Amino acid sequence: MNFLAPLFLAGAAAIALPIFFHLIRRTTRDRLFFSSLRFLKPSPPRMNRRSRLENLFLLLLRCTALALLAAGFARPFLRRDATNETPPNPNRRIAVLVDTSASMRRPGVWDDARAKAAALIRRAQPQDECAVLTFDRTSTPRFSFEEWARTPAGERSATAIGRLDDVQPGWSATHLGDALITAAESLQDQGDTPFTGRKEIVLITDLQEGSRLDRVQGYDWPKDVALRVEIARPAIAGNAGLQIINDPHGTVASTSTVVRVRVTNASDSRKEQFTVAWARSGSDAPVGTPQEIYVPPGQSRTVSLPAPTNAAPDRIVLLGDDEPFDNTVHVFPPEPVQLPIVFVGNDTLDDSKEPLFFLRRALPTTPGLAIRLSVASPSAPAAAGILEAAALIVSTGTLEAPAADAVQSAIHAGKTFLFAPRRAEDFTTLARLLGLPSIAAEEKKPATYAMLGDLDFRHPLLAAFADPRFSDFTRIHFWKYRRIDPQVLPNARIIARFDTGDPAWIEIPLKKGRILVLTSGWQPEDSQLALSTKFVPLLFSMIESAGAPLRPSTAVQLVDAPVVLPENSRGGVVVRAPGAEPITLPAGTTRFTDARTPGVYEITAGTTTQKVAVNLDPSESLTAPRNPDDLERVGAPVADPVAKPTPSPVRAAQLAAAEAEGRQKLWRWFLIATLAVLLIETAVAGWSLRKRTPAGEATA
Amino acid sequence: MSQAPPIAANASGRSFIDSKALMSLRSLELRARVVVEGFWSGLHRSPYHGFSVEFTEYRQYVPGDDPRYLDWRVFGRSDRYYIKKFEDETNLRCHLIVDQSRSMTFKSIGHTKAEYAATLAATLAYFLHRQGDATGLLAFDDRVRDYLPAKHRAGHLRQLLLALERPASGQATDLISPLRHLAEIVHKRGLMVFISDFLAPIEALDRSLAALVAGGHEVVAFQILDPAEVDFGFERESLFEDLESGQTLFIDPKVARRDYVPRFEAHTAELRRRCQTHGVPVHRLLTSEPLDFALLTFLQERARRGRQVRHRTAPGGNVSA
Repeated sequence: MNFLAPLFLAGAAAIALPIFFHLIRRTTRDRLFFSSLRFLKPSPPRMNRRSRLENLFLLLLRCTALALLAAGFARPFLRRDATNETPPNPNRRIAVLVDTSASMRRPGVWDDARAKAAALIRRAQPQDECAVLTFDRTSTPRFSFEEWARTPAGERSATAIGRLDDVQPGWSATHLGDALITAAESLQDQGDTPFTGRKEIVLITDLQEGSRLDRVQGYDWPKDVALRVEIARPAIAGNAGLQIINDPHGTVASTSTVVRVRVTNASDSRKEQFTVAWARSGSDAPVGTPQEIYVPPGQSRTVSLPAPTNAAPDRIVLLGDDEPFDNTVHVFPPEPVQLPIVFVGNDTLDDSKEPLFFLRRALPTTPGLAIRLSVASPSAPAAAGILEAAALIVSTGTLEAPAADAVQSAIHAGKTFLFAPRRAEDFTTLARLLGLPSIAAEEKKPATYAMLGDLDFRHPLLAAFADPRFSDFTRIHFWKYRRIDPQVLPNARIIARFDTGDPAWIEIPLKKGRILVLTSGWQPEDSQLALSTKFVPLLFSMIESAGAPLRPSTAVQLVDAPVVLPENSRGGVVVRAPGAEPITLPAGTTRFTDARTPGVYEITAGTTTQKVAVNLDPSESLTAPRNPDDLERVGAPVADPVAKPTPSPVRAAQLAAAEAEGRQKLWRWFLIATLAVLLIETAVAGWSLRKRTPAGEATA
Repeated sequence: MSQAPPIAANASGRSFIDSKALMSLRSLELRARVVVEGFWSGLHRSPYHGFSVEFTEYRQYVPGDDPRYLDWRVFGRSDRYYIKKFEDETNLRCHLIVDQSRSMTFKSIGHTKAEYAATLAATLAYFLHRQGDATGLLAFDDRVRDYLPAKHRAGHLRQLLLALERPASGQATDLISPLRHLAEIVHKRGLMVFISDFLAPIEALDRSLAALVAGGHEVVAFQILDPAEVDFGFERESLFEDLESGQTLFIDPKVARRDYVPRFEAHTAELRRRCQTHGVPVHRLLTSEPLDFALLTFLQERARRGRQVRHRTAPGGNVSA
């Protein structure tokens, strides 16, 4: 029998007390009233002689109780158990989990993290098992338990540390929850032999507020896995960050020349005054007018930054932050979409009876959309390239042979031709375009007016009107139209018919392109279409269905998100990542998944080049350290955050003794024995008192 | 003193009333009556028939004295004229001075010293009242609690008995001030019966007694004691608490008795010595003793003193009761 706290055995000296009390006469509690104490002297307690020790059994019980109590307090344990059952140094299985997310790029953080990891790996005992994992958005094993086991004991630490030296933090977000689960799983037994030592995850991270922990919440954390957190500290405390505020579609507001950014300031930051400005690649010098902004620590402010018109910036920078991390967002100032429309005819722009007059007014230029309406002669071929660039070709009359041929080749190349003949004779142009000898058409003039009776809302042209709120076309009156037989038109699809049953709007595909035929024009001479609310949406629907983009092509997205490539990438796509060699992707590739660095990506498909701005995850800007208790809150129990040094042999023996004592808990039995003895003592004392008490003495 | 043995001898053959049985009677008046009536009936059989608490005095006739008071029998024997004179002209005026301090509440048998003292006082009062004497009362503890002047009037005895029945309350015993008080207010000579345990400082007692005796009063003291106070017959060691001061002492009786008894007896002897200096007899009465025995002792003492006076006033010793 050994004792963990033998000093408490000194309490057994209290045994002397009951012996002493048994030796002196018991000071009675009897109280006797007497008439006068004048003639009395106080009697001192009288000592009995040794031979007159009374109630030996009672004395023995009392001494035993005290001795048991003292022994219980001294925390007894059996040494044999302590030495045999518990090895002095249980082997451990440690998963070192190192954060390599973007926030670890802050100066000093990664060096600190690597030093901590190296120190931890070096401390590993020969019987320990150790693995190294890094994580950001995903977890990557750098040195597995199997490799540890394979490597000779003397080289393990150096190899594992060497693997970590090759790693640099990336630009990804911190999915800490996933990483913890991966590490916990990796600690579980792989083979048939269960691991009996201690399982431990050592998390080395900056534990920034932006780390995502939500996955751990639903995870049943293994009871035998302990988690220890080592916080890597940056050289400079505090950080301000810059993020773009996306519109609900995930793109920068396209119709505005203003870009909104949010400036966040970490709670431990010492700076409050910042400047936000546009900048150009390779320089932080502001382009345009910089804007001052005051952001108190722990708060965020939003800035609307007007795009400069005289330069082509590709980023917005935050100036005034001591910490260079996340002070740049890549974004292009929104540029208006160029939309060339070609009208082939002799109309004048100012004649309010001509179709061109209404077409010009239905397609106004907006900040996001620059519509260029050019007029080509119907008798001569159009200028080179004008038809190829056109989003829509429009004509309302007869085209001469050269012009018609130019239009036909444009249609063959994939253009959409809107043809609204004003007379029946004009259908000869359609016949020529379609390669037909002639198309019979007659002028039709209803008694009052005609209405659109049957509309095919499934057609992409009318799909926008399919909602019952917009599907009413009966208010548009058609005074006259040209009646043709659709049967003669190859592959013609009738989009709308008049209430007379005659076709009103017809789509005729022609090779890669198509012809949209309106048998009644929009000018007031023919109908009320140009004056109705349907005209402008109908025109834009035609332009959009012709494949012309109505929104800016540049996009903003986050690191690691896949970049959607253009669909017409037949000849393969070349992606130029910032600061890297161009990558050629095979034809048919729809997504580029390797956007791992923030910056401007240029995607070239054929002749068109698309720019994609890739930015840091905004959560990485939340660099203020989290409280390690947050891990406990989501269910990952955090052990002592400070790594304990290897104890000395004496200390180790003490720890083993304490552990054995804690396991055996012999003190409980001593306490129970004490209580039992005290109960017996109470019973015996009560019995002897009743026996001793005389019948009664005189009292006042 | 040569006459005393007959009483003692008689007392031994006489059946006294047991004090325990007497004290079991609740009414103080009844207790007094039982003692006195029993005593009367005993008196008729006693050789002391006819003696009175009031003794007579003889002086030589001088012209002008009332010839009715001439004692013709003395004249027949001595051929001289003597006037038979009554003490205090007419009746006896007796004051009972009763200690009602807390120390009197001690008891080791069925009744306290206070009850015993009250019964004694009531017995004397009743006895004197039956004789037609005026009786007064002064009850005291650390100060004078009750004072009833000596009267012989209907209802006075009842009033006196009521005062005697009041419970003891005082925290201390002051033996001096009641005597001084009486010496100041009672000018007519009379009998003072002092009933107390005298367990208090007695250093200044003789001065007060001297004042009373000098005032012509006759003083008799009864020391009422519990048997346990005399022999300290306790067995178990206990915490003894003084009834008056509340002081506590741990006492082992076996040890303490050795000191207690001599000190107590010394105190009693000192009391007796100081009283006798002034001619005050002290009768020690234990609460276990019969009360009529106390009455007998009292009367015996009275008779003895009366004879002494008569002997002093009648040379030749031919005067007898």
